[in-house]
Amino acid sequence: MAESDTTNTEATPEGDLDRLLGDLRALAGDIESCAVLSGDGDLLSSSHGPGVERDRVTAMLGALAGLARRAAREEGRERAAQLRIQTQAGNLLMVELEGSATLVAATAPEARVGLVLYDMRNARREIEKAIEGGRKS
Amino acid sequence: MKKLFRGFLLVGTLAGAVVILKGYLGRSETAGEEAVQIIFQDGSTRSLSSNTVEGQEFTDIARKVLEIGV
Repeated sequence: MAESDTTNTEATPEGDLDRLLGDLRALAGDIESCAVLSGDGDLLSSSHGPGVERDRVTAMLGALAGLARRAAREEGRERAAQLRIQTQAGNLLMVELEGSATLVAATAPEARVGLVLYDMRNARREIEKAIEGGRKS
Repeated sequence: MKKLFRGFLLVGTLAGAVVILKGYLGRSETAGEEAVQIIFQDGSTRSLSSNTVEGQEFTDIARKVLEIGV
């Protein structure tokens, strides 16, 4: 798994997001890596620097968000609030944020997923504020 | 008496073997299980098994994401 780059903690919206994701990882030890995807499908914060891996992750997370939206439409709902994908390689967790942005976290298969989702929901408000700050500036 | 004791021993051995086999099968089922759970804003849930085409779409992409991390 990739290690999170939380060194960019300067007072910018990106720096705020990186710091908040670093805090979330420190709080929920079961999270191996986490990211924020904007409603437009851009990766606002991630453990990967610019490059091929980041582009691949962005495309795949965008595809998953699209699948979740399609599943919600099939159920007659506007959108999904939370998505948990359990695989043999681990769990991929997605929590919907304001403005159709998404908070994503990856964990090992044996992680306490309920606890991780609880911490992700608690961090949601601060992350939404940081994204909102980024839009205004 | 000796015959009865042998009978008990045989039944006990069989019961033990069944319990061990059941535990082993149950454990491997859980380890290999793949599933998708979607929770909507009204609190309702939709579960998709990876046996379904729709569920497999999610798990295939998620597996690749987990390989390289987010």
